[in-house]
Amino acid sequence: MSLLAFYARNAQEVLGLVAQHLYLVAVSTLLAFALGIPLGIVLTRRPAWQRPVLGLANVFQTVPSLALFGFLIPLPFIGGIGASTAIVALVLYALLPIVRNTYTGIAGVDPAVREAGRGMGMTDWQLLTQVELPLGFGVILAGVRVATVVSVGTATIAAAIGAGGLGVYIFRGVAVVDDTLILAGALPAALMALAADGLLGLAERRLAWRGK
Amino acid sequence: MTVGQSIVFVATLLAGCGRADRIVVGSKNFSESDLLGEIVAQQIERRTGLPVERRFHLGGTFVCHHAITSGQIDLYVEYTGTAYTAVLKFPPAHDADSVRRAVTAEYARRFGLTWGKPFGFNNTFAITVRRRDATRYGLTRIADLARVASRWKAGFGYEFLERADGFRGLADAYGLRFSAPPTAMDLGLTYRALAEGKVDVIAGNSTDGQIEALDLVVLEDDRHYFPPYEAAPVIRQAVLDAHPEVGTALALLAGRITDAEMRRLNALADVEHKDIAGIARDWLQAPRP
Repeated sequence: MSLLAFYARNAQEVLGLVAQHLYLVAVSTLLAFALGIPLGIVLTRRPAWQRPVLGLANVFQTVPSLALFGFLIPLPFIGGIGASTAIVALVLYALLPIVRNTYTGIAGVDPAVREAGRGMGMTDWQLLTQVELPLGFGVILAGVRVATVVSVGTATIAAAIGAGGLGVYIFRGVAVVDDTLILAGALPAALMALAADGLLGLAERRLAWRGK
Repeated sequence: MTVGQSIVFVATLLAGCGRADRIVVGSKNFSESDLLGEIVAQQIERRTGLPVERRFHLGGTFVCHHAITSGQIDLYVEYTGTAYTAVLKFPPAHDADSVRRAVTAEYARRFGLTWGKPFGFNNTFAITVRRRDATRYGLTRIADLARVASRWKAGFGYEFLERADGFRGLADAYGLRFSAPPTAMDLGLTYRALAEGKVDVIAGNSTDGQIEALDLVVLEDDRHYFPPYEAAPVIRQAVLDAHPEVGTALALLAGRITDAEMRRLNALADVEHKDIAGIARDWLQAPRP
């Protein structure tokens, strides 16, 4: 059966899975931004925390998803089976590029500029919001872009824990030896990743241009 | 090129393999398949002296089948019921002998592959519940499940949900209606979810070592719904022609592993985390009646 025929026959289901996939990616990346960007900022203020925090974020990257799910199932609130567990895993996977790039972006600001700000009597908050964040924005956005694109691909593993998404077709296809099914899940996920990358790239260029 | 062929192709490139005169043994990505692959590999090494290359833990039936039909591996252990329904796409059947005859004939005709004699055990689907619940509600057979199903949650692997001989047929055969559609998840995680009380019934495999380790109970398939899944080596006919002694070595393993024995070997690997090669060596060296 060709891919197009498959989509035509299962349009409803495909759209449902795409929506689930988008939901998983959107919620998990937004949570990762909300956690990762402040964490990256804190690291620039507390250099001693840098190694343990980035080390931990690195460790999460290396834990295979099925093992991570295994650990999460018994946990109350964030664990169990379903979307919440998948989102926790996706957030943990997305943290590293965001935290690291936020830290690098701010740490990379020319010390002379920072000194000038201090000399003008800026508070730490003013320094952060008016000097460091605007100047580090390009690097931070690059981290956000990587995290989002990677999440679109990683979200296919949500299907292993009963959270749905396009991974459902991939898992089903692998289970029953069916190339069409695998492609039916993999292709829209790849397109979604390309679209996310393109949109964020566009935003990056727009904002960089405006910055000049 | 199909996805499966691409995967095999890339795997081959990565391994950088040049094939000399050796036997390449594959296995699927779970312990029992690795164990049987290792037993077969060691048996060939001991009995024929041919060098054996191991390509273990390949991604399931799909990858193994593509690998052996494209000649990347020479043999792996397959289950008759899996070959019958998942590879040959026949409707589910229930008689072990006729299934074995059909896969033997069709594999020879379509793929140039030969089925060896089965090892002796039947690794069929196992409808599994917590022992606590089985005692409390008096469950021994799958038919008993119909009484409690409306209040229970099920969690099944994709293969079980998708296959013609899986959940849909089972639900019809036993009149099972669960409180919600079964949760689709990774098979290995279903055991954990059952033990943790996140779901109430799962479909495991009857030879899984986890069943005893997690204090679970397998319900009897009293209406004989599940097809037979006898494990046997599948080997390329070309290899058997070139090395008939391989066939002789494999024939010595026929009928040697019972269900209980396979469960014990799986528990050594999955529960006690013993080394696969060591388990296989001990088993092959153990005195036999």
